[in-house]
Amino acid sequence: MTLTDVQVGDSCTVKRLNETGALRRRIMDMGITKGTDITVRKVAPLGDPVEISARGYDLTLRKADATLIEVA
Amino acid sequence: MQTTIALVGNQNSGKTTLFNQLTGNHQYVGNWPGVTIDRKEGTLRGNKEVRFVDLPGIYSLSPYSSEEVIARTYLSEGNPDVIIDIVDATNLERNLYLTNQLMEFGVPVVVALNMMDVVEKRKIQIDSDALSKKLGVPVVEISALKGTNKEEVVDVAVKAAADKQLPEPTRFSPQLEKYLDRISALLPDDCPDSLRRYYTIKLFENDQKAAAELSSVPDVSSIVAEATQEFDDIPESIITDERYQNITGYISDIQKKDTKSISTSAKIDKVLTNRILALPIFIVIIGLIYFIAVSTVGGFVTDWANDGLFGDGWHITGGAAYEEACEDYDRADAIVGAAEDGESTVDIENEDGDVEETVTITPAVLAEAQETLDQYLPDADDAEAVAEYDRADAITAGVEEGEESIVFDGELIDLTDEETITDAEDVLASYEPDPADFGIWVPGIPVLVEQFLDWIHCAGWLESLIIDGIIAGVGAVLGFVPQILILFFLLAILEGCGYMARVAFILDRIFRRFGLSGKSFIPYIIGTGCGVPGILATRTIESESSRRLTVMTTTMMPCSAKVPLIALFAGAIFGGAWWVAPFAYFLGIAVILCAGVILKKTRPFLGKTAPFVMELPDYRLPRLVDLLRSMWQRAWAFIKKAGTIIAGAAILIWFLSTYGWEDGVWCAVDNMDNSMLGIFGSAIAWFFYPLGWADWQAAAASISGLIAKENIVATFGILYGAGEVAENGHEVWLNLAASYGTLAGLSLMVFNLLCIPCFAAMGCIRREMNSAKWFWATIGFQILTAYVVSLWIYQLGMWFTTGAFGVWTAVAIAAAIVFLILLFRPYPKRLEQGALEVAASEA
Repeated sequence: MTLTDVQVGDSCTVKRLNETGALRRRIMDMGITKGTDITVRKVAPLGDPVEISARGYDLTLRKADATLIEVA
Repeated sequence: MQTTIALVGNQNSGKTTLFNQLTGNHQYVGNWPGVTIDRKEGTLRGNKEVRFVDLPGIYSLSPYSSEEVIARTYLSEGNPDVIIDIVDATNLERNLYLTNQLMEFGVPVVVALNMMDVVEKRKIQIDSDALSKKLGVPVVEISALKGTNKEEVVDVAVKAAADKQLPEPTRFSPQLEKYLDRISALLPDDCPDSLRRYYTIKLFENDQKAAAELSSVPDVSSIVAEATQEFDDIPESIITDERYQNITGYISDIQKKDTKSISTSAKIDKVLTNRILALPIFIVIIGLIYFIAVSTVGGFVTDWANDGLFGDGWHITGGAAYEEACEDYDRADAIVGAAEDGESTVDIENEDGDVEETVTITPAVLAEAQETLDQYLPDADDAEAVAEYDRADAITAGVEEGEESIVFDGELIDLTDEETITDAEDVLASYEPDPADFGIWVPGIPVLVEQFLDWIHCAGWLESLIIDGIIAGVGAVLGFVPQILILFFLLAILEGCGYMARVAFILDRIFRRFGLSGKSFIPYIIGTGCGVPGILATRTIESESSRRLTVMTTTMMPCSAKVPLIALFAGAIFGGAWWVAPFAYFLGIAVILCAGVILKKTRPFLGKTAPFVMELPDYRLPRLVDLLRSMWQRAWAFIKKAGTIIAGAAILIWFLSTYGWEDGVWCAVDNMDNSMLGIFGSAIAWFFYPLGWADWQAAAASISGLIAKENIVATFGILYGAGEVAENGHEVWLNLAASYGTLAGLSLMVFNLLCIPCFAAMGCIRREMNSAKWFWATIGFQILTAYVVSLWIYQLGMWFTTGAFGVWTAVAIAAAIVFLILLFRPYPKRLEQGALEVAASEA
């Protein structure tokens, strides 16, 4: 299951990141690392990107990038 | 002893606020939030021995983003004495991640725990003593916004610098440390002890940029390979994971949080980023900004600045009475004039050239009109004045009828002499209502300067240079300053309160398709007012490629200076058709979107799509002083440019259009055809032949538009022999319509709308691109775009309407085919795969 499969309002835990290079580093630098709890807050009015909260703050990322985050 | 303090922290951690608090007004390099061009420096208020270097707001010290590279290069090479790490206490975990990395630079670190006031309000408890013990560095609780403890944090930092108490870098899990120890042993001997930990980790991460700073790079690939196998992860991620695990390990001892309460920000976002309400609210906010900055307040002050301050002058009181007097005078003048020509009725036109009333001339009406005029005409008893007036009247009448000379009162007057005509016009003007007679009248800068120059008997050419060149050119640009101030103030509010990040969130979906960012919308909207603040507003866009694309296309939205041009062509060529103005805007939008689709598939834009992983910061009430500071810094950058680049360009164009060869003699020309500008216009006119307007006037007018786009209208006025032209340009309508057919006229208008903007905007593009290559690419791209679109309009239009098919029609069709291929070709896959690697190696 990836982050895009999580319903708005639900929470999950990061299992793995399927990406390399700048994007992966950026996601991890923002605190999305293995074992991080994520809550999906909302989806933008046009269906993309999504807003999530992790480590006590809110951030937004595109669905295409969210599919790279494997969660459980 | 001087102490250099580096200020480092996450974006939105309050770094800039603290910097401004500490340095007061002593900063000397302007910078903007989230912008990489310079780092800011300043000295402590009241103590020049303490120097601050404000680095870009960053989340990490990776090699991927330019901000982060600037920060880490400074930290490892700039030799700061101490780092003040500004930590947003409301967002402790992620901020400490950067702290964790900063402790590896072999520089004393002091943590400034910012926003403690907000923390208290949210009922979060933070034990800063415990944090200090855990990190092994001093921790000072501050509120940058309120200035709490700002002296203390500096004192602690200065002391830490003097004591050289270096922080102990975080130790990772023993499992990882055993690999790091092996790498550390391989480091070259000349690597300073204080930076060994930093380079060890960078070598493990395979960070080639950092490794290149070493005198020799040891081969650690086998060690890293072993670790990769053991951890089943890539090296960079292993380190990041370890850092966060380290923080997670102690965070619960330091911070107690009531997680159930919903923050105010979340409540505001329930409305502002609501699935249904978000877009309407956004449109209302943008509409409001446009309304305030461009159409009402901004428009009002811009008119004042252009017509008053940099024009004839303005009324403090009595303005309405003056306008009324002018209207009465014009009406009376029209009636008397018509009666003299033997007409029985006369159409009275208003300012826009529309017929306001039709007056039937009866003796009573005529007498009343004559009486109105007599108020202003010379006293009948003053024979000398009457004679002077009649002479001037005869001269202008002769000119209107196209005479070369007239005989007045036994005197032969040569009407080809410009000076005679100007003098006559001045005489007549002195008998019209004088604004200075109505209420309090403040003359404009050009008027005052002209009076001063006359008073000191300044040479004619110098006066012309100052008034027609410098003041006209720079004034046309500075006239936009009030509007820019208002725009920047409103933008600063949006940025300061945190709404800008939401804009990106709301609109990303649409703009991403076109290679743009959600935030690109703001520059385009502002660009309809003026391209300069529009281009400056791109600074809020994080992605470098989206930002470049936005800079390249912002000026394709018709700015307010292009409106007179649109009005001129709408009136002259299209009979005032309503659709011309909307067409100009839709054309701008269409060109921007197509350009986005085409350019994002080209190599320079490929692979640089910055990851859109963005913090949505908490909403904050911005402080007025910060808003004003942000507004002023941006506006000042603009004013400085007007004083340098634009002044230079204005002088050049003035020189080119004033001097030339007449009868083989170099002189100040009477006829602009003979000026260097005219000659140059003729020389390049062939270039526009395929577009349907190969005359030098159009070329020269387009060139003069480079000072300010509204100049195009003025130049057409001069070139088509109407002397002064009202902004709507009625006087030149007929001439213009006679010179250009519908298609050629449309092509000419479109070319001037899409082509390179004025010097002010070009200077701005140059600065924002921060690269000569990108600047010239933008200029070339804009000329090509304008040329191709105009070519289509004229050539394909001629083909469809008249069936005329020539070489250029074929070229236009070929261009259209190339365009469609570029537009619809698939996104290049090969490059897409390598995209992130390219970004990594080029960053």
